[in-house]
Amino acid sequence: MMDGGAHTHRATAAWDSSSLPVPVDHLRSMRAESPTPGLVEGTEPGAGQRSTMFIHAQSFEDLTAEAEEEALRAADTAGEECAAEELKALIEEKNIQEQHKNHLSTEARTREEDVSSDAWRSHKKHVFVLSEAGKPIYTRYGTEEALSSTMGVMMALVSFVEAEKNIIRSIHTDGCKVVFLTRSPLVLVGMSQCCRSDKELLRELNYIYYQIVSLLTLTQLNHIFQHKQNYDLRRLLAGSEYLTDSLLQRLDRDPGLLLSAVTCLPLSSNARDVVSSSLQAAKSKSLVFSILLAGNQLVALVRKKDQFLHHIDLHLVFNLVCSSSSFREGEGWTPICLPKFNTAGFFHAHISYLEPASELCLILVSTDREDFFNMSDCKRRFLERLSVRSAYQALKEALKCPSYSVDQVGIPELRHFLYKSKSSRLYTSPEFPEVYQSYEEQERLMVLYQDLHSCVTHPTRPLHSFYRCGETENLLARVTSGFELYLCFTPLSTKAMAVSAVTKLLKWIRKEEDRLFILSPLTY
Amino acid sequence: MSGMRVDVKVVMLGKESVGKTSLVERYVHHRFLVGPYQNTIGAAFVAKQIQVGEKCITLGIWDTAGSERYEAMSRMYYRGARAAVVCYDLTDKRSFERASFWVKELKTNEELCQIYLCGTKKDLIANDRHLRQIDYHDAQDFAEEIGAQHFETSSKTGNNIDELFQKIGEDYMSSEMELMPAEEPGVDLNQKKNSYFYSCCLSN
Ligand SMILES: Nc1nc2c(ncn2[C@@H]2O[C@H](COP(=O)(O)OP(=O)(O)O)[C@@H](O)[C@H]2O)c(=O)[nH]1
Ligand SMILES: [Mg+2]
Repeated sequence: MMDGGAHTHRATAAWDSSSLPVPVDHLRSMRAESPTPGLVEGTEPGAGQRSTMFIHAQSFEDLTAEAEEEALRAADTAGEECAAEELKALIEEKNIQEQHKNHLSTEARTREEDVSSDAWRSHKKHVFVLSEAGKPIYTRYGTEEALSSTMGVMMALVSFVEAEKNIIRSIHTDGCKVVFLTRSPLVLVGMSQCCRSDKELLRELNYIYYQIVSLLTLTQLNHIFQHKQNYDLRRLLAGSEYLTDSLLQRLDRDPGLLLSAVTCLPLSSNARDVVSSSLQAAKSKSLVFSILLAGNQLVALVRKKDQFLHHIDLHLVFNLVCSSSSFREGEGWTPICLPKFNTAGFFHAHISYLEPASELCLILVSTDREDFFNMSDCKRRFLERLSVRSAYQALKEALKCPSYSVDQVGIPELRHFLYKSKSSRLYTSPEFPEVYQSYEEQERLMVLYQDLHSCVTHPTRPLHSFYRCGETENLLARVTSGFELYLCFTPLSTKAMAVSAVTKLLKWIRKEEDRLFILSPLTY
Repeated sequence: MSGMRVDVKVVMLGKESVGKTSLVERYVHHRFLVGPYQNTIGAAFVAKQIQVGEKCITLGIWDTAGSERYEAMSRMYYRGARAAVVCYDLTDKRSFERASFWVKELKTNEELCQIYLCGTKKDLIANDRHLRQIDYHDAQDFAEEIGAQHFETSSKTGNNIDELFQKIGEDYMSSEMELMPAEEPGVDLNQKKNSYFYSCCLSN
């Protein structure tokens, strides 16, 4: 009986499924059709059936990052008041009207911006990267040269506090927060005017750090600065600034980066199985990961046995592919470091779109830099299989509706939600409804979700459930060992409605999980 | 189509933003893309078939990034290349200096590689002569000195681009001829009715 739903679903598919690997797994029997919020990790909707694609155990860095945060709370005192004044002067709040105007005109990067201008100061979030010797490496707005005096102030702060054996973590003044992250040989500084938590800002700085490492490897970074402390790293990063720019935009807009999870293209499990097994068959000795993306959504991921991809690394790949037009020209072949996998070396990625104007991009990650033509051949074999088994057509159909409306859930008060399965690290979310059509509104909703997220993932005092009434919407966050759920309701809804919506939504996700998640990931 | 067969490996070299990607784009896809400049990430490969006399050959073109970040890897992109298009921007003196760096690299590492020195963005000069920073004759002298061919092209108008790649194909064919045995087998008239001429370019 518990399998019934899934079977009827399968039977409606257009092709014969007898040749497909049938997922027979007893775990399935534990997957209740009406999951309750109390269910355990591994049986929540969206949990993988045999194994997971992503690294699970926290890596060393995750653990140390958390220890750092604890220290942060202890060291987070007001000892740096006078220095804070100087920084505050840089980003003090400007009047709203002006800010709004500037915001609209600076969607694209404004490198030539005058750093003493009001516009520069009014940006909501600044990010700087410098070397330990204080040399500017990156700034989100304006040019690094024009900012070198600002960077100088920050460096002085960092070295002053470090010399006192009291590593500087963050400075708070009203209306502004500055967070420092030292990841030798780089120092990263984030400044925000929103009341974001230190943890959120640190998470973002870590992302920027990984972005830089993915271009150069940590080994190379260390090597460079050991030999020449004063090295100007911008020489090596030239032409890649747009990657960091777009990563910062993603951090504001992409729920996946917030949730440390990835979202999938909704696709019938039959079609997905064919795509996955075609990828699986197109293997090669040096191949470690085969990843098929459709824009910002994962279609399939096949990995070498015993090798796991970290979601941060996958987000870096997403960012690289989605923000670069150059892979449209032919078959890309580029060195790439996946820092969560290994900061020491480069993989070599074969990156190409399945068709010139297609959304579908295939990334084949190889260990061998001489293996381009082998990878090219893997792609050809994959495409051949896909067409023979007519899954390509199904895939193209699925691309026509890459998302779904929240109306399908059938809860009138519900406007939007984010649901993450903790064990598979996959999440699902409907498209933004009418009321959140503008970029500004979407960003505002993301900020609300970020706030909820900080409450329920607080390192020392996490809340399992959190309800918040607002003028424009009501929000509920619910976290268990199996999932994280963030819901957004109309302002007219009540708390009781919100609570009952959780059960109903979980039931709906369970019903749709075949389509919304990758339940049976494959290895070569 | 089964596995890819490439007759001539061609590599595009030169400082970033001199117009290597645009050159390939114009040649292969007959278009010129405008919009914000984006550096090539790593390298991009594209295969293109051309007709040289009676023969059809495949050029495997490697478009490289030209940024310092990938310099250590550049060897892997030009290794075994039969032709290198070393580009410089006619309006940028520094890019010409950079071109000589690549020439030196090739001369020391890839003896068999024929060099094609290519001044890009000629349309900009046609509009305003003062923009030219590299004299035609200086570049020509340099090309002769290093035994290279010399071209000036525009990817915007398409000027001289087909000619450049056609020349690469022809030079390859004539160098192959030299390598062939002097005594070719005579024509067997009995076989004639079977010797259909298939042009692989037709199936394209
Ligand atoms: N006017 C003009 N602009 C060009 C020409 N070729 C390239 N460009 C521009 O020069 C910039 C760099 O071109 P690109 O091909 O990406 O350079 P690459 O870094 O060497 O690959 C782009 O903004 C192009 O639009 C040309 O022939 N004429
Ligand atoms: Mg390029």
